[in-house]
Amino acid sequence: MRKTVHGGHRNDVTGLFDKEELKILKSLNFNFCLQCGKCTASCPVFLRTELNPRTLVRKTLYFVSQLKICPPLSISEISSVWACTTCSNCVIYCPRDVKPMDIILAFRTILIERGNVPSTISEALENIYKFGNPFGISSLKRAEWAQDLSVKKASEESEVDLLYFVGCLTSYDNRAQNIARSMVIILKNIGVNFSILAEDENCCGNEVYSLGERGLFEVVAEKNVKRSRQYKISKIITTCSHCFNTLKNRYKLENIEVQHSTQFLSDLIDKAEINFSKRIAKKIAFHDPCYLGKHNNIFEEPRKILENIPGVTLLELERSRKNSLCCGGGGGRTWYEVTGEISRPSEDRIKEAIDMGAEILAVACPFCLLELEDAVKRMGYENKLQVLDIVEVICRSLGGL
Amino acid sequence: MKEILVLAEHRLGKLKDVTFEVLTKGRKLAQENNARLTAVVIGYDIDPLGEELAYYADEVLIYDDYKVKEFHSEYFRQVLSHIILDRKPEVILIPHTSYGLELAPSLAIELNIPIITDVLEISFENGRFVVIREYFGGKLKAKVTLRESPRYIATVRVGVSKSEKNESKGQVTKMQNLDLMDIPYKRVIGLIKPPPEAVDISSAGIIVAVGRGIGDAKNLPLIEELSKVIGGVIACSRPVVDMKWLPKERLVGLSGKVVKPKLYLAIGISGQFYHVYGMMNSELIIAINKDPNAPIFGVADYGIVEDLFKVVPQLISKIYGKMYGEENK
Amino acid sequence: MDIIVCVKSVPITTGAELIPDKTRKDVILDNIPFDINEWDEYALEEAIRLKERFGGNVTVISVSSRDIDEAILKCLAKGADRAIKIVDKLVAEYDAYTIAKILYTVIKSMKYDLILCGAQAGDDGYALVGVMLASLLRIPYVTFVKRLELINGSLRTVRELEEGFEEIVEVELPALLTVQTGINEPRYASIMAIRKARQKEIITLDLKSINFAESNFDGWIEIQEFFTPERRKKCIMLQGDLNEITTKVVEILRQKGILR
Repeated sequence: MRKTVHGGHRNDVTGLFDKEELKILKSLNFNFCLQCGKCTASCPVFLRTELNPRTLVRKTLYFVSQLKICPPLSISEISSVWACTTCSNCVIYCPRDVKPMDIILAFRTILIERGNVPSTISEALENIYKFGNPFGISSLKRAEWAQDLSVKKASEESEVDLLYFVGCLTSYDNRAQNIARSMVIILKNIGVNFSILAEDENCCGNEVYSLGERGLFEVVAEKNVKRSRQYKISKIITTCSHCFNTLKNRYKLENIEVQHSTQFLSDLIDKAEINFSKRIAKKIAFHDPCYLGKHNNIFEEPRKILENIPGVTLLELERSRKNSLCCGGGGGRTWYEVTGEISRPSEDRIKEAIDMGAEILAVACPFCLLELEDAVKRMGYENKLQVLDIVEVICRSLGGL
Repeated sequence: MKEILVLAEHRLGKLKDVTFEVLTKGRKLAQENNARLTAVVIGYDIDPLGEELAYYADEVLIYDDYKVKEFHSEYFRQVLSHIILDRKPEVILIPHTSYGLELAPSLAIELNIPIITDVLEISFENGRFVVIREYFGGKLKAKVTLRESPRYIATVRVGVSKSEKNESKGQVTKMQNLDLMDIPYKRVIGLIKPPPEAVDISSAGIIVAVGRGIGDAKNLPLIEELSKVIGGVIACSRPVVDMKWLPKERLVGLSGKVVKPKLYLAIGISGQFYHVYGMMNSELIIAINKDPNAPIFGVADYGIVEDLFKVVPQLISKIYGKMYGEENK
Repeated sequence: MDIIVCVKSVPITTGAELIPDKTRKDVILDNIPFDINEWDEYALEEAIRLKERFGGNVTVISVSSRDIDEAILKCLAKGADRAIKIVDKLVAEYDAYTIAKILYTVIKSMKYDLILCGAQAGDDGYALVGVMLASLLRIPYVTFVKRLELINGSLRTVRELEEGFEEIVEVELPALLTVQTGINEPRYASIMAIRKARQKEIITLDLKSINFAESNFDGWIEIQEFFTPERRKKCIMLQGDLNEITTKVVEILRQKGILR
């Protein structure tokens, strides 16, 4: 019996997963769950949304073992998985290596394959397929941010030693484009030879993967991998933590080194190749992006950069490093708002930064930048706290922008 | 060139404005080509409509029959078919409306008459029937001809012409009953009037309208804030209603309301005709859209090519500041 | 319930600037992605929902010159059971009447209860093919349908009129409906589902194999030339950064007496 799949009807009680779906669920490692609840306690959207990792694991466990006393798992309960930001706190805090986040991603995949997807997410995915970015803007406009900067395109070079992978948000969002411009100014200032893919760049697919659209992820990844071979790229740096995570961990790039901009720039500081000329006499707190810190254990490099900028007083937020408070923008959340959500995690983060006396909240990811800046505006704190990407801070210290 | 026939559209005992617009267009075509202009009105108990139409045509044909007391494509087609075969007009103009599109294409097939829809301009050039119409949602226009034929059918876009009454009254002719063939396989059960609404956007002086560009219902609070601070009422274009982000009563356009406020702020609206029709006579139109090629800029007085999520918050603070003398909230 | 859905693949032109080509009889569409016509997506979703409720199967039919496997596969991925493609290199030159005749030639020998089409296409907006097809097939039709129900073997539909009015029309099956946007919420088709859809039945035909007579190629509509529309009134585009732009807007509103 094939269950009904209505795009708009999300409250069907479904008692059955089909064979393939059960296979996906059974492949997950949640038999060791002892229901301690640490995953739920550490989840940034628990209590703000319906998502409860612990209950989800419990109910799935019953399902998969097919006990007759299964509590019914409804589509609306399963649909709570769209609220996940993929911060991976639940994975970090689990004492039993259960990985609730993987269960959430598995349910997303099941819903995606059923076609049961919130319309805004559906549109973002379709746009990525058709236009190479979630915004549905022509790929021809992907490098418009670089118009006045004379940046080299990979297609015009015989080979590329260093590629700056910009990413969709940074390429198309007006505010985030400043990250790209700052990065270009820094690289030119240091005299580094680099190129961008420009119109040939395609979405990295990090959000696509997080949303469970595995087929689409393969499609977008293949496009970028093809380009890397075509243009003979040796090394890739990116200012986006999401792009970094996916290029480094999920792509099969042969012999290509992938670094986040903070790693790259931190290395250059070690070699004394960056000269900070202007003082930035500010109290700066660094917000660890989940995809840089939690997922990839990169904590020191951004701090080293900030400490080396003259005048900067580096503050350490209470919830930092592995314990960083997710901004709430990952996992496809940029394209999905939960109805009735009281507040977004970003607002807590802003309050934390302000209470600490920070004047600048530095980030290393455009998702964090946009989410946190939005929160600042919503809370009316534009005069109290500035949200900047690390490369924007560096740029100011170099005397540019 | 002998006759141009125009089908009148009416509902609930009143002629629709589009009827007069199409008759005015027909009048121009008739004058240019030395032809008679004949209006056709089909319905039940419609003598007064016929009288009214006589000021817009040389002749009015009234077909009055209980069987056509409501619009019904099959009955109306039988009547028109009879008239066309009898009088052999060169051009048949039908309003480009829901009724019109339910009728015109099948009339064309039945009588083998070339048809073109949603036209803006009509003329004869060197004996060829030529029209102007839009393509790609209004991004391009084209000059289009129909294959040479003794007769042509065109559906005319609503709102593209003013209506001009004639000074003299034309002749009114009541047609004989045609003993229309019954149509048991298609039945018009009834009309559903729009429900009474909480908000009547058509009486608002300031309208803040959103389109697909708003992206999601979650983003509406931003627009609500703008609307509040500027003293306006929220309206929207079709995609917003299709996605159920706002109720139908907020819809501006062909299938919604026609508004003429002092200020119409079109935010994230592409400006396709079916929306523009509903707001193009607003006193001041300011449009915000990321797409520099959006058709809305063809109807706006001022345009901003920018991400609405960047402009609107700044606009809110500026207006707030202006009204309350502070720089920030 | 056996349902046929007629589907057209159209260019997605949002955000794009369209320019006529050298001949002006055509438009340059390089770098513009194609997708299923938006109205047809709603028609397809409605067909699949009817199938899920009443059983039967859904056949998708499309006429195209382009490699439309994508659009057809998407329909199959969403739940259509099989697809019929009529491929011909010159399709772009065929007008609505010719397309209707092609569809008629294929469909007239098929068994079906219902044919669903989109009310119009996003590229030309003719709103002709559906009703023409119904007329050629001599089956009842209703246009701009927003809701439909099966009641005692007849189809009760609600169709959209202007100004918020609606009309209830009942038809006997077999019938053809043209569907308005908003009738439902179309589901998503994943890439994996689209790949799996290749395994479903896809019949490819050309005009010769369906015995489409030469005489049938006479269309009615001929585009003479495309041109960029003149802006109706001069729209003043506000320039500058966000601060300058919003300041200008406030100034304009003040001048017009909308703000004090």
